[in-house]
Amino acid sequence: MNKEKTNVADVDRSFYDFRYADDSWKVKSGLTPEIVAQISEEKHDPDWMREFRLKSLEIFERTEMPDWGPSIEGLDMDNIVTYVRPNAERMNTRWEDVPTDIKDTFRRLGIPQAEREGLAGVGAQYDSELVYHNIRKEVAELGVVYTDIESALHGEYGDMIREHFMKLVPPTDHKFAALHGAVWSGGSFVYVPPHVKVEIPLQSYFRLNAPGAGQFEHTLIIVDEGADLHFIEGCSAPKYNVANLHAGCVELFVGRNARLRYSTIENWSKNMYNLNTKRAKVEEGGRIEWVSGSFGSHVSYLYPMSVLDGEGARSEFTGVTFAGAGQNLDTGCKVLHNAPNTSSYVNTRSISKDGGASTFRSAVVITPRAKGSKAAVSCQSLMIDDISRSDTIPAMDVRTSEANVGHEARIGRISDDAVFYLMSRGISEEEARALIVSGFAENVSKELPLEYAVEMNNLIRIEMKGAIG
Amino acid sequence: MKQMINTPPARTFRWLGVNGTAAELPQEAGNYTCSVPEGAEQTFVLQENSSLQKVTIEVGPHAVFRLIQIHRNTDDTERFSEIRVNCQESARFEWYRIVLGGNCYDNCSVALSGADSSFTAEIGYRLDGSDRLDVNCEAIHTGRRTRSTIHASGVMTGASAKILRSTIDLQKGCKGAVGNEQEDVLLLDETVENRSVPVILCTEEDVEGNHGTTIGQLDEDLVFYLSTRGIPQEAIYDMMARARIDAVIRRIPDPALQTALLDEKEAAI
Repeated sequence: MNKEKTNVADVDRSFYDFRYADDSWKVKSGLTPEIVAQISEEKHDPDWMREFRLKSLEIFERTEMPDWGPSIEGLDMDNIVTYVRPNAERMNTRWEDVPTDIKDTFRRLGIPQAEREGLAGVGAQYDSELVYHNIRKEVAELGVVYTDIESALHGEYGDMIREHFMKLVPPTDHKFAALHGAVWSGGSFVYVPPHVKVEIPLQSYFRLNAPGAGQFEHTLIIVDEGADLHFIEGCSAPKYNVANLHAGCVELFVGRNARLRYSTIENWSKNMYNLNTKRAKVEEGGRIEWVSGSFGSHVSYLYPMSVLDGEGARSEFTGVTFAGAGQNLDTGCKVLHNAPNTSSYVNTRSISKDGGASTFRSAVVITPRAKGSKAAVSCQSLMIDDISRSDTIPAMDVRTSEANVGHEARIGRISDDAVFYLMSRGISEEEARALIVSGFAENVSKELPLEYAVEMNNLIRIEMKGAIG
Repeated sequence: MKQMINTPPARTFRWLGVNGTAAELPQEAGNYTCSVPEGAEQTFVLQENSSLQKVTIEVGPHAVFRLIQIHRNTDDTERFSEIRVNCQESARFEWYRIVLGGNCYDNCSVALSGADSSFTAEIGYRLDGSDRLDVNCEAIHTGRRTRSTIHASGVMTGASAKILRSTIDLQKGCKGAVGNEQEDVLLLDETVENRSVPVILCTEEDVEGNHGTTIGQLDEDLVFYLSTRGIPQEAIYDMMARARIDAVIRRIPDPALQTALLDEKEAAI
């Protein structure tokens, strides 16, 4: 049994935990106006963006650290390098042109294969820059734009970027939104024209290779009236003994009667502080669907927010969080109902084992404008052992009588009866427990494309095997 | 000087404004300290003799203590109560809180330290106009096989506001413990403000924590059915409000006290 445990730990590391020599160019560690100006220079920012960055830095300096979530005392901004330019041309459109080390990294993560087999487009970010971006010709011919955000900023979509950039998540939102505003780099811009349905997903993959670095990519997606898109985001990093930071920002604009599904499988290394912000604004009759799997990171603060701003707008959030040894994952979602007849559904599962801590945290707010709105929240947590921690901290704020809000939560353990039943059918205890946990997380895996669901189930199986014996 | 009261054990997003309430506490407090001997059963109706009441109760092994608090909204005074309870082995503490308007701030923290001890909170309220109810209720499970139930039910009209923070804290060592929270809020006017924060904290594997909340309007089918029976809409809403308060009172296992409280409720409403 011990042998199995060791072997599995090796599998876990070898898949995501590999690295190449760090021959990148970096700014100095820490955060000063000079560093921010240097990043701005490096990115050839227009004047308004340079001013925006410096203003954000001021906001960062005067904004307090959050005092309500997991401890982030181990994160010292003086030791974080906020911009790392890989030794590669930015924005290649052919894999062959990507440097070998980086290409190898993404090949090992299965990105080129996924692109060939079932994606409409792929973006690959390595440290602070996108090194590859491509979109299928037939999708581009529909008028779909999928490019890196810096190119869009300088091209014909510059005004659109300026109109939307950090309007949904302003730098004043919280300390790490301000940090993002100051040092953001990389990320994707997607525009789907009215009534265009992108049949297969687009994917961005983020890889942080440099030790002690931060990744601050910005994703901006605009799905115009009646359009439809599925966007997948993946992320990983090798493990280092120093803290790494991810403070990305995702802003999604879902037009009238449009639909956007945003799926994430997050598997950052366990030295990562994942302080990411994601927000969607949904107009009349539009729909946002979040699918979120959180497996990695040392500490996470992750609460995708849906702002239902048009009549009949809808939001669905489906999430699973798996916290193991050394992890404190604080995840959940926020929904703001701000228009009549809006609806939201939240369905989450969290699993804690080996001393890991998982917290489900949510906020459902129904404003006086949101007459006729409905919200339902369901969260279930599983404790695998008695050295772990699992909390649920939901909040509901209802300010109209013409609304219905329901919430249910449950924390418990794996049923001994279920384990006994499966063992009586010839399944080992370890397999039985892994099977039950996989079933517990099925709400998320069934919402993912097949290959991602398989990856997620493998992650659960690996983690569970490591937990028993 | 204002201070933060009703601060829950787990904080959440600051912008929600639910991590405590800034309030100026009265200088004078009514202090009640009670130690319930082993095997005894006592019921205590807490009179509102002062605007701040501090209650400390030690419930001995196999003892039962019922604390009943009713607020009748006779004036605009803000009422504060702080209740601290420890339950020893197989002890039971029951808190019945009935609020018929006014401005009430309640903080009730119950430690279930003895094995097989239990805590039940029954909170019923009827809020109208500018009434405010602000509650923090905690069940801290450390003893084995401990049980807690926090049940709140109420009706809100006018521009009334309510915050209920309820926490079931299943701490390491409380094997076999079960905690349940249930809240049912009926909102009958456009200008009400209802905030609910039902928290479950868990550091023990062999436990169960459950929570359920429903917030909103009366079921349309029910209103329609009662309307077809000739009951005017206002009377239906009034009936539902009374039913919620009555349900809390009827859970008190003392018929004489029930009758007295039901009469008080009728007079107050």
